[in-house]
Amino acid sequence: MTVSLIAPPTTVIDDDVIVKFDHVNKFYGSMHVLNDICLEVKKNEALVIIGPSGSGKSTLLRSINHLEKINSGHIYVNGRMIGYYEKNGRLYEDNEKNIAVQRASIGMVFQRFNLFPHLTAIENIMEAPLNVLKLSRENATAEAERLLQRVGLSEKRDSYPNQLSGGQQQRIAIARALAMKPGLMLFDEPTSALDPEMIGEVLDVMKELAHEMTMIVVSHEMGFARAVADRMIFVDEGRIIEYSTPEELYTHPREARTKEFLSKILH
Amino acid sequence: MYSFDWAVFWKYLWPVTALQDPLIRSGLIVTVAVSIIAQLLGVILGLFAALGKMSKIGPLKVLAEAYIWYFRGTPLLVQMMLLFFGLGVTHIYNFPDIHLGAIMISGAIQAGTLALAINEGAYMAEIVRAGIEAIDPGQLEAAKSLGMPYSLSMRRIILPQAAKVIIPPLGNEFNNMMKTTSIMTVISAAELFFAFTQVNARLFQPFELFIAASFYYLALTTIWSFVQSWIESSLGERKSVVHTPGFLQRVFTFKGVH
Ligand SMILES: Nc1ncnc2c1ncn2[C@@H]1O[C@H](COP(=O)(O)OP(=O)(O)OP(=O)(O)O)[C@@H](O)[C@H]1O
Ligand SMILES: [Mg+2]
Repeated sequence: MTVSLIAPPTTVIDDDVIVKFDHVNKFYGSMHVLNDICLEVKKNEALVIIGPSGSGKSTLLRSINHLEKINSGHIYVNGRMIGYYEKNGRLYEDNEKNIAVQRASIGMVFQRFNLFPHLTAIENIMEAPLNVLKLSRENATAEAERLLQRVGLSEKRDSYPNQLSGGQQQRIAIARALAMKPGLMLFDEPTSALDPEMIGEVLDVMKELAHEMTMIVVSHEMGFARAVADRMIFVDEGRIIEYSTPEELYTHPREARTKEFLSKILH
Repeated sequence: MYSFDWAVFWKYLWPVTALQDPLIRSGLIVTVAVSIIAQLLGVILGLFAALGKMSKIGPLKVLAEAYIWYFRGTPLLVQMMLLFFGLGVTHIYNFPDIHLGAIMISGAIQAGTLALAINEGAYMAEIVRAGIEAIDPGQLEAAKSLGMPYSLSMRRIILPQAAKVIIPPLGNEFNNMMKTTSIMTVISAAELFFAFTQVNARLFQPFELFIAASFYYLALTTIWSFVQSWIESSLGERKSVVHTPGFLQRVFTFKGVH
């Protein structure tokens, strides 16, 4: 038996840490989009990320399910490194199958919904449970109907995405992600493509979810952050500038950059 | 002074009498069958070549690119001669006739169909690739985020959407294909045009006969434009973003042969 200097990734992390960033760096050419990110998100925690445009919020979020590659450091989800495996101190990109398996337990909701336009609402929700989880059609249908009810869209069961409003599309997208029974949900500015009158209906669904799962949300909706966030981070130029509670961050920001940013978004 | 032979002209123009000539009858069947088979094979080859070209796996990418480069970059006529005679003289493959019950498929027809299919695959590859690239990358990301592996995402999410983009140009490819089958004459495959040249060798009335021949091609492509408009409008009913040209626009829009 050889002794490894590197502890196997599964033992590094407490059970209740769902996401861990360990000195993560990413570059686009010479631009440092993720700069030495260290972060832990605990089970059932809601983390809200804010920061200026181009600061790396989406990149940070998308690296959690390996939609973005990283250049160094480690990201662990549910105690397992995602996207890479380590051999002799070097990282190698994992194969596609393994990555897919890990992604199946991480839900993601996009700014522009990305519903499948050729499928109806219920088909969108059932697609992955049927073909990835291999649920029976009966079970998948029952589960999808339950989720439709949960997001308040039972009557839109057979509508195509282009027959739905933005708010409805986003609620279907949330239901689609939930159908995989993820323990972790990622939201990338889920309401910023919506007309103001539709923002509330989406946030309401998210607020309810916050009670039962871990979520990481990029959003500048202060009301939402104050209501559900356990922790917040302010990101600027690829760095976590400030990590605190919503109360602290909004009322007593420690860093000058945070103050400056907040004064811009809060007028 | 050339004397126009109206009797020959009408006999070979009017389908009821023309199709009594077994040469013309089997020629027409061969042209239609070869067009359909070569187009189907071309679509399949094109799909794989497109996926190969977009692949991250180096050798696959190079192979697909070389295929597309060669078959789009050289004349179909040369490809067909090379395939049929080239493989024959070197005894790599002789294209023996195949007998399926009462039907005999000559080696020339096999080679011709294969050459048409391989050539078409190179053109279809670009059409399929354009179709796939027309799909919002957010679609693939959404599929990935649900844990769908690449092949499943392609099959269930990307290709069904790309199909709508691919079908209009595919219809035009098939229109071309029906006309391009006439090139098989150079390897003496007994398709429609070859049949007319055979009749002409007997009667030597080229003016009458080739007008009649063009009538048959025109009939095939016109029938196809009706089918194509019907396919596209029934696809369009289920909300499509693809602009489909109208029937008249299609009939009177011409496109060169590869
Ligand atoms: N594919 C790419 N190639 C090059 N640069 C990129 C790419 N994707 C993102 N970037 C750059 O990386 C930086 C971080 O982008 P990111 O999308 O993470 O920012 P963001 O904080 O989410 O911004 P926004 O609020 O506008 O969504 C930006 O400067 C962006 O221009
Ligand atoms: Mg972003």
